[in-house]
Amino acid sequence: MGSIVTVNLALAAGLLLVPWLGGDFLAWQIGLFLLYGVAAQGVGFAWGRGGFLPLGNALFFGLGAYGAAAVLKATEGALWVNLAAMALIALLCAALAFGIALLLFRGRMGSGPGFSLVTLALVLIAAQIAETTPALTGGFNGFSGYPPLAGLDPFGGLYPVIVALVVAVTLSLTLIERLPAGLILRGLVAQEERLELLGFAPHRVKAWAFAGSAGIGALAGSLYASHQGIVTPQAIGFMLSAELVIWAAVGGRFSPLGPLLGAVAIGWASSALRDTVAWWEVGVAAVFLLVVLLQPGGAMDLIHRGIARLGLTRRRRDAPPLPAPPSRAAAARGPLRLCDVGLSAGGIRILDRLSLALPEAGILCVIGPNGAGKTTMLNAVTARLPVQSGQITLGAVSLGGKATWQMLDHGIARKMQIPTVFGALTLRENLQLAALAGRMRGLDALRPSPLRWQTPPVARLLADPEVPLAAGLDKDAGHLPQGHRQFLELAMTLSPEPRLVMLDEPAAGMSPAETQLMVRLARDYQQQTGAAIVVIEHDMHLVDALADEVAVLHQGRTLATGSLAEVRRDPLVAAVYAGGHK
Amino acid sequence: MSSDALVLFALNATWQIAALALLALGLGLVFGLLRIMNMAHGDFVMLGAYAPVLTAQWGLPPLAAIPVCLLMVGLTALIVERLVIRHLYARMFDSLLATWALSILMREGAELAFGPQFRNVPLPFEGVTQIGTVGYPSYRLLVIGLVAAGFLALWLWYRRSLTGLKLRAMVDNPTLAEGAGINTARLSAGAFVAGCLLAGLAGLLLAPTLSVYPGMGLDALIRSFFTLIVGGLGTLEGLAVGAAVIGGLQAGLSAYLSQTAGYLGVLILAILFLWRRPDGLYRHR
Repeated sequence: MGSIVTVNLALAAGLLLVPWLGGDFLAWQIGLFLLYGVAAQGVGFAWGRGGFLPLGNALFFGLGAYGAAAVLKATEGALWVNLAAMALIALLCAALAFGIALLLFRGRMGSGPGFSLVTLALVLIAAQIAETTPALTGGFNGFSGYPPLAGLDPFGGLYPVIVALVVAVTLSLTLIERLPAGLILRGLVAQEERLELLGFAPHRVKAWAFAGSAGIGALAGSLYASHQGIVTPQAIGFMLSAELVIWAAVGGRFSPLGPLLGAVAIGWASSALRDTVAWWEVGVAAVFLLVVLLQPGGAMDLIHRGIARLGLTRRRRDAPPLPAPPSRAAAARGPLRLCDVGLSAGGIRILDRLSLALPEAGILCVIGPNGAGKTTMLNAVTARLPVQSGQITLGAVSLGGKATWQMLDHGIARKMQIPTVFGALTLRENLQLAALAGRMRGLDALRPSPLRWQTPPVARLLADPEVPLAAGLDKDAGHLPQGHRQFLELAMTLSPEPRLVMLDEPAAGMSPAETQLMVRLARDYQQQTGAAIVVIEHDMHLVDALADEVAVLHQGRTLATGSLAEVRRDPLVAAVYAGGHK
Repeated sequence: MSSDALVLFALNATWQIAALALLALGLGLVFGLLRIMNMAHGDFVMLGAYAPVLTAQWGLPPLAAIPVCLLMVGLTALIVERLVIRHLYARMFDSLLATWALSILMREGAELAFGPQFRNVPLPFEGVTQIGTVGYPSYRLLVIGLVAAGFLALWLWYRRSLTGLKLRAMVDNPTLAEGAGINTARLSAGAFVAGCLLAGLAGLLLAPTLSVYPGMGLDALIRSFFTLIVGGLGTLEGLAVGAAVIGGLQAGLSAYLSQTAGYLGVLILAILFLWRRPDGLYRHR
């Protein structure tokens, strides 16, 4: 906490010294690039933290600028009215961005180029409208003839207001990194699929991030109107959008300060050197290209690495854990039932009218040759693949039409066949995210204490001397050996205390000792919570040790169910496993 | 609408569609074969469009613009492939960013080399062809013919030739293609340079109908992109469909409402497609 205060106080002090040391005109020039820098911080937040690149964020900067100019003209500079109106404009821009992102990300659009291109098209539309509706925006000549905010002189009194905005935005962005919201965003970038299985809706998380990015841009734009005294289509155009991205990239998109640094350094240097040094713009473009190719973290990444090498990073003290609130996944909802489920992909029928009833409690092992449809069955239940026919119900509730992220709230948790953990995060952060799963509500994302939550299943696992997690909590999960990764994923799966646990080959890549441990942990969890567990497994020793009941799948249908001994006696099963025909 | 106006509208729409198809071809080729979103595509168009400007400046005959264009664009593309693109195959998002940086670099470089002013390129030959009672610039008719013939030839070549077969193998499964003895590195480099050359040729052919300046690439890029998005990324057929829809829409809206309406219509259509039908109208298989 202390370091955040220090950094922001130093930032504020340094910026406030500018007019005193360099004069009011320099402060005016720097002020412009600080405003651009704040908008670039917004781009950096969406790109570095949210993992998607908005190519058209000048849209919100421009909307803020035009909106503020219109308000200033109508109210003739009344301070509180103006401030309230600007806050409202920023909120509206954030809401617009939230809506756009929600619509776009809810569909099949990932974080990839599609989103970037839509934002690019949007800013082109906005610029075209700004240029061709002079009645509304003043057209090419711009919107002018309004007083600055509270009558503040752009060459004097406005500068401290700009610095206040810069510090407020920087402070908020640094704080968010230390809050659950920041952790969720990092989880989103690190491993979207796991985040979704932990019950977070990726499209909503991205929409919040984009809303924040847009709101920040609009705030910067609204002060820009007062700073410039005129708003032209340039403030909403493609060129500014492009520069915001360049500044964020070169300065460092992963750090709240990076884009600000990029905007002030490059922007200000450009305005000074553009006319005298012919190759300046070529040089900036070349630096941008080099950053993209070689140094994706930008300048701030170099600075951070330098600080780390000097040994100046402070070790974080661990606050004692807090008991986590009850999980929404822990409420009983009745048994899972698949009825005539059909699923084809790429012209191949994978599930062929599959029917299977799970017990409400106990361990069911699903076995069957490769290609029988075992993993696909789990994919159908967790809505990773769309079901074409049939019904999947949980008690009285139909799971049809639900999304993957809604499964945890229905008590369903899943461990993937290939262990899926947040590789770029430490073990501790992985477990923190799992502790938020199913328990976090509304504003918890912005309170620090949920990061200290510890859940009963994880507490038990960490206290178990055989489980290899407690020792390396500060290591990156990506560097774990396969077996340890399996246990981490198990811990994350069990953390929300789900009523229905689906384990896809939990012992793959494990030593015999580790396999035994896995069996014991699954058994323990079942006995402690009375949950239902579905295990897909090829290892018959494990099935023998674990299963209360066995189901055999073959060619997308249930071939037999019963105890392992019963299933073994079944002539159909014997035929399938002996390589005969059904 | 009189029949003359109808004929003129049809000719204009055909011209728009042919010009778009020509513009988008290089971009579609690079994306379809290499999965690289070449944001610098428009700047290769710009480079090609400067070829006739330069040949006129140097006092060379107009036809010399063709070798100048091929040399200038080809060399640039070769260098770019070596230094940048080669490291980005199969990394779509990074390639988008890097080529975008490249685009800014080329634009600023062109401004440094050629100056920021707008240039006009004269038509290589004046002349109007009478179609019924309507006169239409012969140069445009020639370009329409060239585009149609070029598309047909390219389609046949891709389906019938050995290189086409190798390319299709590489698109389908690069690792297996390499295992089968196809030099995918060389093939990829060739495909990228070919895509850029097509962009350059588009610039050369369209230069007399556009204003040539360093920033002209952005408009070319956007129109090409949206053509591909509507048609479906990655196939010649899709590109033709996309050009027909976008070109037709733009020609129609511009004729009945205004240029602005045409531009906005295209942008809105592109957003709708990116959102609802990211695979475009024409689907493979």
